[in-house]
Amino acid sequence: MNILELLDISKIYGPVKALQNIDLSLEQGEWIAIMGPSGSGKTTMMNIIGCMDKPSSGSVILDGESLSRLSAEELTGIRRDKIGLVFQQFHLVPYLTALENVMVAQYYHSMTDEKEALRALERVGLRDRAKHLPRQLSGGEQQRVCIARALINYPKLILADEPTGNLDESNEGVVMELFRQLHKEGSSIVMVTHDPGVAAHAEKTVVLEHGRLARITIN
Amino acid sequence: MFWKIIFGALTRQKSKLALIAFTVALGVSLATAMLNVMFDVGDKVNQELKTYGANLNVVPKGLSILGEMYALDPAEEVAKRPEQHLREEDLVKIKMIFWAYNIVDFAPYLETKVMLGGQAVTMMGTWFDKHLTLPTGDEVDTGMARMKSWWDVTGFFVRDDETHGVMLGAALAARLNLGVGDSFPIAGGDGEALGEFIVRGVFHSGGDEDNQIFVPLRLAQRIAGKPGLVQRVEVSALTTPENELARRAAQDPNSLSRLEWDTWYCTAYISAIAYQIEEIMPDARVKAVLQVAESEGAILQKTQLLMFLLTVLGLFCSSLAISNLVTANVMERSTEIGLLKALGATTVSVTLLIMTEILITSLAGGIAGYFAGLGFAQIIGRAVFGSAVTAKMLVVPLVALLVLLVTLAGSLPAVRMLLLLRPTEVLHGK
Repeated sequence: MNILELLDISKIYGPVKALQNIDLSLEQGEWIAIMGPSGSGKTTMMNIIGCMDKPSSGSVILDGESLSRLSAEELTGIRRDKIGLVFQQFHLVPYLTALENVMVAQYYHSMTDEKEALRALERVGLRDRAKHLPRQLSGGEQQRVCIARALINYPKLILADEPTGNLDESNEGVVMELFRQLHKEGSSIVMVTHDPGVAAHAEKTVVLEHGRLARITIN
Repeated sequence: MFWKIIFGALTRQKSKLALIAFTVALGVSLATAMLNVMFDVGDKVNQELKTYGANLNVVPKGLSILGEMYALDPAEEVAKRPEQHLREEDLVKIKMIFWAYNIVDFAPYLETKVMLGGQAVTMMGTWFDKHLTLPTGDEVDTGMARMKSWWDVTGFFVRDDETHGVMLGAALAARLNLGVGDSFPIAGGDGEALGEFIVRGVFHSGGDEDNQIFVPLRLAQRIAGKPGLVQRVEVSALTTPENELARRAAQDPNSLSRLEWDTWYCTAYISAIAYQIEEIMPDARVKAVLQVAESEGAILQKTQLLMFLLTVLGLFCSSLAISNLVTANVMERSTEIGLLKALGATTVSVTLLIMTEILITSLAGGIAGYFAGLGFAQIIGRAVFGSAVTAKMLVVPLVALLVLLVTLAGSLPAVRMLLLLRPTEVLHGK
């Protein structure tokens, strides 16, 4: 069963065609990497899959639900309920502790549960850092908090934008190991990356060039 | 979690929010000071104006009718018909009318002629600083020393119980070559020697009084042979500026409807106070010095308008400053706000979050500003009026409302920005 389907989607910003006629599907539990040079449309595709933007044409079906006709508020609801976001810049709220940053996602999803948030931090190996502010954590630790936050609401799809782009080699290894673990447990993952080494962890690599789907490689 | 986020934002972004709180505090302190002064300025300016003279004259009724016929001023009326009198014992009633607390001071006068250095001189008996006990048990100090505070006095005002102390007008003292501490003989109008008197003070009033001799009322009554009598009373009262209703009432109170009459009677219009004194002293006629009353009203209204405009201007400036600071704060935190939206926060919930944070900050600034404003009001009161400004409770809800309105108005551009902010723009720059 497909968790995600992109059907002939295009995105046009004025004269710029960011995406053109993209068709792509992702099966439940599948892990794909999206690669491509700068300006190839990776982030645009990421925003559309993450319900943060709408395609100019074409359809997006997530977990059996078409997103094409949904309003911005309805898309917010889909994003909240079905998608876990991991960012290259981590994007943690600077004045909240690691635990509170995880609980923020719970708060906007349904209700907060501190024990469950602690378990999520434990899963990424940061239970003992729960009361630390982001500035007191290393880059790798911040990214692991970001992953814990993405997982806390049991999303249908994990969307990771260059999750290792700001990490050194050892932290990159820790984070990729986490993704491997999630995939093994059945999570569906879409990961945007520049790094072929990182992309190699995925089952498939989708390569974009000039907004078009250039090729799909099975890893 | 909502309050955890708010608490986190407030406690861990102190320096950023302190600037907003400080701006609100500045605006609120200005508004508090101005509003307190504005509400108190009526009494203050009135008090100030009262030091420049009486605004009511009480004269005997019969004498007043003649005065109206020949358009005389009360002092001239008294001079032309010295046989008309009021009873000194009735004067305490002036402090027993409905607007008793608005009667600031009053002083009676009894005029007689004496011979001084071979010249006929007007001797004026009055209360200088009289202590009265009212039938209600209240105690009052009143008299000319308070009402003529602008007089330039060398020496002292005479004590009311003195039997040989006098005050001389500056022109008279110069003519007779007398100074403070000098003794001199006075003879009655018929030339009979009254004894030696001592100059306690010499005053310069700038008016006819500079050629007169002022003595305690009791002494003047004895010399004039009119014990217990006075010819006129000057009254200084705190009044509300006249309006159309007051003017109609002054012409004929019976022309008012019942409701209008109640409104007029229960407002401290000069005509209402005059009416109430006449009610309690049926043998007297009370005349308002309208030029004084109207000038006081005009000065008061202009002063209050000035204070109000300064308050509005101060709040407008605060609103602009808050607007800039809140907008800058939202811009600076756009990534964080975009993140919350990306995590599923609706625009309404994010706006609620930011506005709660700003309102709490403003509240803290508002409370600090309120107390600072009370301090500023006292400084203004001391510097301008030489007395403390009474803190008005009405200012508290007014200032709270102003804080709310100024903060909301100042935050409108930031709220608009929040509504338009898309997570993709701040998280991915697209």
